[in-house]
Amino acid sequence: MVTLTVDGVKVSVKKGSSILEAAQAAGVRIPTLCHDKRLIPYGACRLCIVEVTARGKTRTMPACFNPARDGMEIATSTPALNSSRRTQLMLLLRSHPLLCPSCDAAGDCELQNLVFEHQIPDLPFARQSRYFHLDNDSNFIRFNMNLCIRCGMCVRICEEVQGQSEISFINRGMNTEVSTDFMRPLDCEFCGQCADICPVGAISSKWLVGTGRRFELSHVKTTCSFCSLGCSLTLEEKDQQTVYVNSSHDGPNEGSLCVKGRYGWTYAYSDGRLETPLVKKNGVLTEASWEEALDAAANGFARIKKSHGAQAIGALGSARLTNEEGYVFNRFVKSVLGTANIDHGGGISHLSLTEGIAPVLGYPASTNSIREIRNARVILLIGADLTETHPIAKNEIIMATGRKRARVIVIDSIKTKLTERDGIFLKAPVGSESIVVFSMIKTIMDEGLFDKASIGNKAEGFEALLESLADYTPENVASKLGIDVNSIREAARIFAQAPTAMILLSEGLYRDSSGVENARAAADLAVITGHIGKESCGIMALGEKANSQGAVDMGLTPQLLPGFALLEDEASRKKFDSLWKTKLPATAGLNAREILAGAETGAIKALYVVAENPVDDYPDRLQVEKAFKEAEFVVVQDIFFSSTAKLADVVLPACSALEKNGTFTSAERRVQTLRPSTKEKLGKSDLELFELLAKRMGSAQFTYSSPEAVMAEISKCCDVYAGVSYDGLGANGIIWPCKDSGDSGASILCQGGFPTGKAKLAPAGPLNAPVAKDGQFVLVQGVSKFHSGSMSMWSSSLIQVCPEPLAEMCTADMNTLGVEEGNTIRLTSETGESVRLKVKWSRRSLPGEIIVPCHFPSLKLNSLVKWNEPLVKVKVEKA
Amino acid sequence: MQERDALLKKKVESTVEVIPPEQLKALDEIIDKYAGTTQNLIPALKEAQEMFGYLPMEVQRKLSVGMNIPAPHIYGVVTFYSFFTITPRGRHTIRLCLGTACYVKGAKEMLEIIIRDVGINVGETSEDGRYTLEAVRCLGACGLAPVMMIGEDTHGNIHPPKTIGILDGYQ
Repeated sequence: MVTLTVDGVKVSVKKGSSILEAAQAAGVRIPTLCHDKRLIPYGACRLCIVEVTARGKTRTMPACFNPARDGMEIATSTPALNSSRRTQLMLLLRSHPLLCPSCDAAGDCELQNLVFEHQIPDLPFARQSRYFHLDNDSNFIRFNMNLCIRCGMCVRICEEVQGQSEISFINRGMNTEVSTDFMRPLDCEFCGQCADICPVGAISSKWLVGTGRRFELSHVKTTCSFCSLGCSLTLEEKDQQTVYVNSSHDGPNEGSLCVKGRYGWTYAYSDGRLETPLVKKNGVLTEASWEEALDAAANGFARIKKSHGAQAIGALGSARLTNEEGYVFNRFVKSVLGTANIDHGGGISHLSLTEGIAPVLGYPASTNSIREIRNARVILLIGADLTETHPIAKNEIIMATGRKRARVIVIDSIKTKLTERDGIFLKAPVGSESIVVFSMIKTIMDEGLFDKASIGNKAEGFEALLESLADYTPENVASKLGIDVNSIREAARIFAQAPTAMILLSEGLYRDSSGVENARAAADLAVITGHIGKESCGIMALGEKANSQGAVDMGLTPQLLPGFALLEDEASRKKFDSLWKTKLPATAGLNAREILAGAETGAIKALYVVAENPVDDYPDRLQVEKAFKEAEFVVVQDIFFSSTAKLADVVLPACSALEKNGTFTSAERRVQTLRPSTKEKLGKSDLELFELLAKRMGSAQFTYSSPEAVMAEISKCCDVYAGVSYDGLGANGIIWPCKDSGDSGASILCQGGFPTGKAKLAPAGPLNAPVAKDGQFVLVQGVSKFHSGSMSMWSSSLIQVCPEPLAEMCTADMNTLGVEEGNTIRLTSETGESVRLKVKWSRRSLPGEIIVPCHFPSLKLNSLVKWNEPLVKVKVEKA
Repeated sequence: MQERDALLKKKVESTVEVIPPEQLKALDEIIDKYAGTTQNLIPALKEAQEMFGYLPMEVQRKLSVGMNIPAPHIYGVVTFYSFFTITPRGRHTIRLCLGTACYVKGAKEMLEIIIRDVGINVGETSEDGRYTLEAVRCLGACGLAPVMMIGEDTHGNIHPPKTIGILDGYQ
């Protein structure tokens, strides 16, 4: 810590902090035009100059990149400094057009504010205009370089934070502008960070142009409903319409958003939204009143329960539900419907990761927080193409590998954007990532690089693990998977010897079903190397949907009750029996796959699907479709008229995440508030629907007045949520475990010990790596950064950037098949199902692989995929 | 001033398909030599320009992929240094001094003659690929005004009507 005085205020800051940060800590504002806390200090605008008195000498220096030192006395506002700032501003105004009345940044323009603050009435020299054309060619973003003050924040954030480097300064002197090479339209992530960070109106969001001045907009602070990173959103609204979305710089995501967060919200305004309930009459879904539809749903369930028993009902929930809705849904299914046949996310996705982590570490969740990634020295990515799935977590890796020179080990089947960073790329076929990790563990054990001092005290099962790894020698694994043996050794060494190392896992519905193995191997590796329970260490399991973690916490699985209580454990069951005033089933139910298989064979008669679209998302489309057709009674509750809803007997319109209250739990276990926008609400919230159905089915217990009341009940029965209440959530939420209302939560789990006493190392299974035959291609179900599936497909803006699925192939394979970019190809699975789509060249694809985005319902890609077969082998031919 | 700005701001025409892919293969040698660090970009660009005479889009794109440097960054460097050019250059570069001394002694007339008779303006290349015209501020030889350089040769005390005669010496 260093102590210094800023404008007479004494302040202590961490060593290495800049003078600017010290001033901010002291509550003194220093004007800046080129500084942002996410960026490396640049010192271009010279407005942050301060007078520093140290060792008897007074000097003037920029505050943003000079470190604070002990005993400094800083003056931030003297006549000389202010005069210098005025001159700087005048020089900027010399070529900045003064068309403020027509500029959409007016009122939110840093330059305007500073000119106003320094009261510059006139310029002492002639103005000089620049004549750049207005560039409206890109999606979402408009460039008006006449307004540019060349602070470089857009160029820097694109490079330093996003890792894109899509824009650069071109030309020189007065004619410098920010553009792409040869001024082509943008072809990037479309994160909009450049437009968001621009202090003036030079780069702006097209949607904002002419829609409203910033000060006319009302703000609603909520949480993003796409992936599980829990970025906070501010909905900027005018006349009950969202016009623009940005993010508070004080939020957990520091103001960074990806394309889905910033531009994807248009799904809530989509024409595909369900507004009126539908009931099947004479084989056709027809519009019905709420009364009629709810009665039909309740009567249908009651009829099946009476004639075939509760075991003939299956329920599929979703990680799109809020915590409160998940909790009430679980209660509704397990008490009112009386069955434990409940699952979400196909029983794979994030759930499989937590199932791998929980037995080893004791918590079915990520152990650390997202913002710690930037300080890790080594980052291990297991099947995590974060650029496409979680762009904001990717930013952390860009920052770590860029300015902090961390190394990244990528275990993946395809080349990702992150394999270009400094580190090691271990190519593992889909589904065999865990084999490589176990091989790394074997190397670490053989070379004695494990955490010898504490392994005996902290973990058990060391010998069993060692024994199970006999086959996993790097040589053996390397020859089986075709990797370089030295890369495995090198990766193991740098991971084990790094002072801090983090493991990142990502799994979606679309990835293979080997998540449990991957997560188990990752947990073993973290424990063996001692990279757990410390800052910038541990495991992050990044789920696919907004409430992936919350759905696990609320027990939307056949075995669990809320708060990780086991259904088959009598004591926990008793607790919930008395809380829910019911008699819970004593055995675990069927998982998603078994429910659908049951529906196909007739064992399951009724299906209740909430916010999930199994037909488009689950593996084996034909089986899923057959299951829904065979089932006697299907109720679908969704915001869109999805492919699953088309097969339903009753369709109940739900409202979107932009229209309801509740909480989401992010991948870093942060419980965050969802607040409704002022737009018109379509449908009813899932919570209201569960209550209405429960009431119709004769249960009088469901009398929650609001999501807040549900959270009060959750905090009573889930230990980790004990201290969570709406009053305490504040702007940025609370991280669980949170013991009581005064507890702000623990961002690092397993600090100083494991909940079960010792970590239980899981032994590896037998080594069998799936391989494709000669002439067969491996289908990698990719994720496009512009889509997440269920909601993004209805978002006009995201469809505009990425309208159709394209198969990605490498040059060698394209030459062999004789196809060119834009040709149509046909993919045929081993069982004969085929799909057709266009092909494009890509750097990501390796020989023998074809990457196809899996979100597009029109493509029906999931018809090629089978349950529990991670490696999808296809025949590729020109169509 | 507006005209000058408009000239400088003229949108660059893309030069796709000018260089056949076989010739682009020659770049591999430069890429192999310099790939690895961003600091080697300027020598790589210099050699590429020596090879092709200019740096069109496809050359920059290939260097970008090969050296793993973002294309906008390369374009930024190319447009920053006047040494680099993205349009094909003539066999001979005419550097006409438009500094004060040369201007009053007849450089303006020389420029007009070149524009009229050769058909190229400042920054342009003649259709037959003989000349590229550049305007410079001062060549440091004001005593010889008006001064013009063609390639490495300096011509001074030029009587403007003789301009074309001098140019004819360079084929």
